[in-house]
Amino acid sequence: MTLRLISEGAESKIYADDSFGVPLIVKARERKGYRIEGLDESIRRGRTRKEAKAMCKARESGANVPGIIAVGRFSIFMERKRGKMLKDVRFGNKEMRAAGAQLAKLHAAGIAHGDFTPANIMLCSNGPCIMDFGLAGIGGGDEEKAIDLLLMKRSVEKPQFSSFIKGYSAYANHKPVLKKLADIERRGRYKARTLQTV
Amino acid sequence: MGIESSAHTFGAGIVDRGKVLANEKSMFPIGTNGMIPGKVAEFHSSNALKVVKAALDRAGTKLSEIEGISYTSGPGLGPCLQIGQLISKTLAKTLSISIAPVNHCVAHIEITRHFAKMRDPLVLYVSGGNSQILKLSEEPFRHYSVLGETLDIGVGNMLDNLARRLGLNPAWGSSVAKAAERGKYINMPYTVKGMDFSFTGILTFAEKMAGKEMPEDICFSVQENAFAMLCEATERAMFLTDSAEICVSGGVAQSRRLKEMLAQISREHGARIGYVSDELNADNGAMVALVGEKMLESGFKARLSDCVIDQKYRTDEAMVY
Repeated sequence: MTLRLISEGAESKIYADDSFGVPLIVKARERKGYRIEGLDESIRRGRTRKEAKAMCKARESGANVPGIIAVGRFSIFMERKRGKMLKDVRFGNKEMRAAGAQLAKLHAAGIAHGDFTPANIMLCSNGPCIMDFGLAGIGGGDEEKAIDLLLMKRSVEKPQFSSFIKGYSAYANHKPVLKKLADIERRGRYKARTLQTV
Repeated sequence: MGIESSAHTFGAGIVDRGKVLANEKSMFPIGTNGMIPGKVAEFHSSNALKVVKAALDRAGTKLSEIEGISYTSGPGLGPCLQIGQLISKTLAKTLSISIAPVNHCVAHIEITRHFAKMRDPLVLYVSGGNSQILKLSEEPFRHYSVLGETLDIGVGNMLDNLARRLGLNPAWGSSVAKAAERGKYINMPYTVKGMDFSFTGILTFAEKMAGKEMPEDICFSVQENAFAMLCEATERAMFLTDSAEICVSGGVAQSRRLKEMLAQISREHGARIGYVSDELNADNGAMVALVGEKMLESGFKARLSDCVIDQKYRTDEAMVY
């Protein structure tokens, strides 16, 4: 294998590989020196498995996500998509509506993404593709789903978010989630909090 | 002069153009019981004048030479904050000098930033009541914006609770640290959500372990997990904000183990970590004086009637001068 480092996050390194004739992405969770070994291993292994499981389930739901090729102890090998990240391009209501429809599929399958921002959506030839399930949860309640909406709301302009919600309303149970979103925004703790939009 | 009285410590500090001339304090004896706000306030009111006088003696100044006064207006325990507020307003009125209410968290952060000589660092602020990751923001006014924070209790509060449950004396974090020196690891909950974290899960779990596992093992494992959680969130914020400097402040910044872990991050990513001495990390009056001096120098003015207290004064609501 010839791994090319293409990006480095706080938790993992992302590599590209072409040696199998298929364009691959390898996401590897790095050892953290500040955590003692037993704890570090169980966190990295648990998160890798959880992420892989969420990605598989998301694909089963019909959402556009990279297909998984193989899962190691601390790494996931997946299909490499072609496209530009939503945060790096000018996007309009059409893209937002399509992104909303993607999230509707995830939520209908019981998956909350956990970090649903334009930094994790790639515009591909077949529409928006959802990336990075590192913080995803399966079987969570409306609260977790509402957080997905909240993050998107803080990242885009108002009319764009309206289009996003139009796409999202394909999710049969969208009304209680929207109500939860309003609840969360009303909570005192977050009133003064200036969340960064990435 | 700055007066601090938000919790167990009554402190009076005197600074002159960023230099600490005096930093005197008296601390409510915690024992194994924790704090009852009314009792602590009584303790403060009977010690306040003694501490103020000691600060003047230490600095070699007379009361008439004090040019301005500042006090902690929150967050903190209401009855305790009132003592500092009362003394400061009285001094301001009788000496006819300017007065400035100061946010306790901002004071902790600013004294570290000042002495570590950092311009715009990522801030990890860890103390009893608070645990936050912050960065300076200019909009809509200059303030510390919160990137991540505890979703329930502060990390110090969690350690204090654990100490009380295990019967350690005095019942606070440093006793947990001491017990942890002989401990070995047992599995504990670990909760990080993006750049936020939560400490009640780990506390409940540890309390259930009390009596079943050795206290030193519980202390060791709680510290390992809680501090690693803080480190992970800090590391994520570092990547997000592209910061090469981390300013660590607050009472828990005295922890040796936390410092070791942060040093590891610093080695892995080449970041500079800034601390102040333990004396300035613990609650103290000098940090309040330092922020007060900056405020008054920048022309801050307040009427006595505007000098209130706010038990839930958030870090990101305070203007930074």
